[in-house]
Amino acid sequence: MKLVWQNPLTLIGFIIISSILLLAAIAPLIAPYDPNAIDVKAILLGPSQLHLMGTDGLGRDVFSRMLYGARISLMVGFVAVGIATLIGIVLGAIAGFYRGWVDTVIMRTVDVMLSIPTFFLILAVIAFLSPSIWNIMIVIGLTSWMGVTRLVRAEFLSLRNREFVLAAQALGAKDFRLIFGHLLPNSLTPIIVSSILGIASAVLVESGLSFLGLGVQAPQASWGNILTDGKEYIQFAWWLSLFPGLAILLTVLGYNLLGDGLRDAYNPRSNQH
Amino acid sequence: MASYLLKRILWMMPLLLGISLISFFIMHLAPGDITTSEASFNPKASEESRQKLRALYNLDKPVIVQYGLWVKRLAKLDFGTSFASHQRPVFWQTTDKDGNVTLGMIQEALPITLLINVLSLLLIIGIALPLGVISALKQNQWPDRGITMFVFLGFAIPGFWLALMLMYWTGVQHSWLPISGLESMGHENLTWPAQIWDTLQHLVLPVFISAITGLAGISLFVRNGMLDVLHQDYITTARAKGLNENKIIYGHALRNALLPLITIFGLSIPGLIGGSVIAESIFAIPGMGKLFYDAVLMRDFPVIMGILTIGAILTMLGNLLADVSYAWADPRVRRGAM
Repeated sequence: MKLVWQNPLTLIGFIIISSILLLAAIAPLIAPYDPNAIDVKAILLGPSQLHLMGTDGLGRDVFSRMLYGARISLMVGFVAVGIATLIGIVLGAIAGFYRGWVDTVIMRTVDVMLSIPTFFLILAVIAFLSPSIWNIMIVIGLTSWMGVTRLVRAEFLSLRNREFVLAAQALGAKDFRLIFGHLLPNSLTPIIVSSILGIASAVLVESGLSFLGLGVQAPQASWGNILTDGKEYIQFAWWLSLFPGLAILLTVLGYNLLGDGLRDAYNPRSNQH
Repeated sequence: MASYLLKRILWMMPLLLGISLISFFIMHLAPGDITTSEASFNPKASEESRQKLRALYNLDKPVIVQYGLWVKRLAKLDFGTSFASHQRPVFWQTTDKDGNVTLGMIQEALPITLLINVLSLLLIIGIALPLGVISALKQNQWPDRGITMFVFLGFAIPGFWLALMLMYWTGVQHSWLPISGLESMGHENLTWPAQIWDTLQHLVLPVFISAITGLAGISLFVRNGMLDVLHQDYITTARAKGLNENKIIYGHALRNALLPLITIFGLSIPGLIGGSVIAESIFAIPGMGKLFYDAVLMRDFPVIMGILTIGAILTMLGNLLADVSYAWADPRVRRGAM
């Protein structure tokens, strides 16, 4: 564990992510205004002591909306990656443990999924269902499990014939116990690293979708849809575009620094440079 | 070589079938059938035209038969006509009985997206290669740290936000660059060098935005590749026999570090095509991404399905091209795989 914090970048990533998590958690306590309260007397005000990040075209307080938007971004990231990781672990474990034709079928499905431009696929599904936060989390999850599947399978293939696994098998351990008791715990580190990096890209995808108007719908605030308003008013209200963009940038940067740092710390091979 | 190619092309068939299955499944996700959404899109759609649509998509037949027919039409690259754009053919041009040619929507949009992606690949190579090499040669010194920071920022910056900022800064504040479309007003009255110059100016921002994530990724990749290669025995051998350092780096190390790049470019094609949605819809460029985005908003199903399939075919062709070039560039692979 000590090794992890030796890299200052990892520590910075950790601090960024935990601050954003904290702010999102206590959003109702620190938000100065109701994020959806429209105030026609305060339309497009610049940042001031009253409104830290100014107000938007409907007079809503941008700082409060940013805080609640953080909840959305973090939730989408966690749930989408949770879904993807779960699918990836199950499919990757089956493929790597049993091999044979099951492996072939699963890995060819991965190939097919990787051949379809993911962002197109997500947009298409959203078009057929309706854009809502739950649909977005599910769709991002269902279109991003391929990496984890490959990873878990590769880990299982390399662990499958190690002595400790063979020993457990010789002692009569059932498949279920071998997979969940021995193989999976020993593959956890790369799975966690890839999940953290996955959250970063899920946050980017969600904000992109919301920016295009196909993500989180008004009046619910998300960093992406605050930016959409920012695009409308870019000539008069720079604060509407600047803050949500910076927030997305910081969040993704934080997850990437953290994920990369953990990988380097636990994988000495990638650390040799 | 020929048998390898044949094997790869045959392998594309089951892949295509899988893709068609997924596309078909998505088409059937829609609540009701496509004729209901057509009717909601166009309230004047008569019962007769709905029947025609049902027959066109064989919605009156069992699902398995529907799938078979859909695959049969795919095999002929027949993607039907658009709901939203006056029955324009989705993929390729058609000629009516009076000899009037109607251009296909993908036929018009695809070259634009390809042009932008090729230019952004060239930009990526032009910038990321030197950055990666410098970073590797100055490992853990300040140029390396600076470039690493740039890489992390490149990965984290939301492309649409950067696009918005650049649009504001270069277009609105300073009017240095045009910010929308591919042609200025009066483009057709210009001489052809002026036309090309005009279009190039329009391409600067979209190409840069499409390139930014790739820039970060490829710099990192070249850096790590160079570091790996520089630790190999044959580099030590080259140094031991007294070869000059430039020759070692550019003649031996770089060439070997670049090999895997071919595969990376092949793998990045779906990302590039998918990423075109954001850049093209922000800059109002009539390419595949904008076409797809508009089709999604209009629920124009034939166009959606057509672009999904064509996008997947392009991806597979890209991967094939990457594998073949890799084999061509690396004799070890050639002997092993073919």
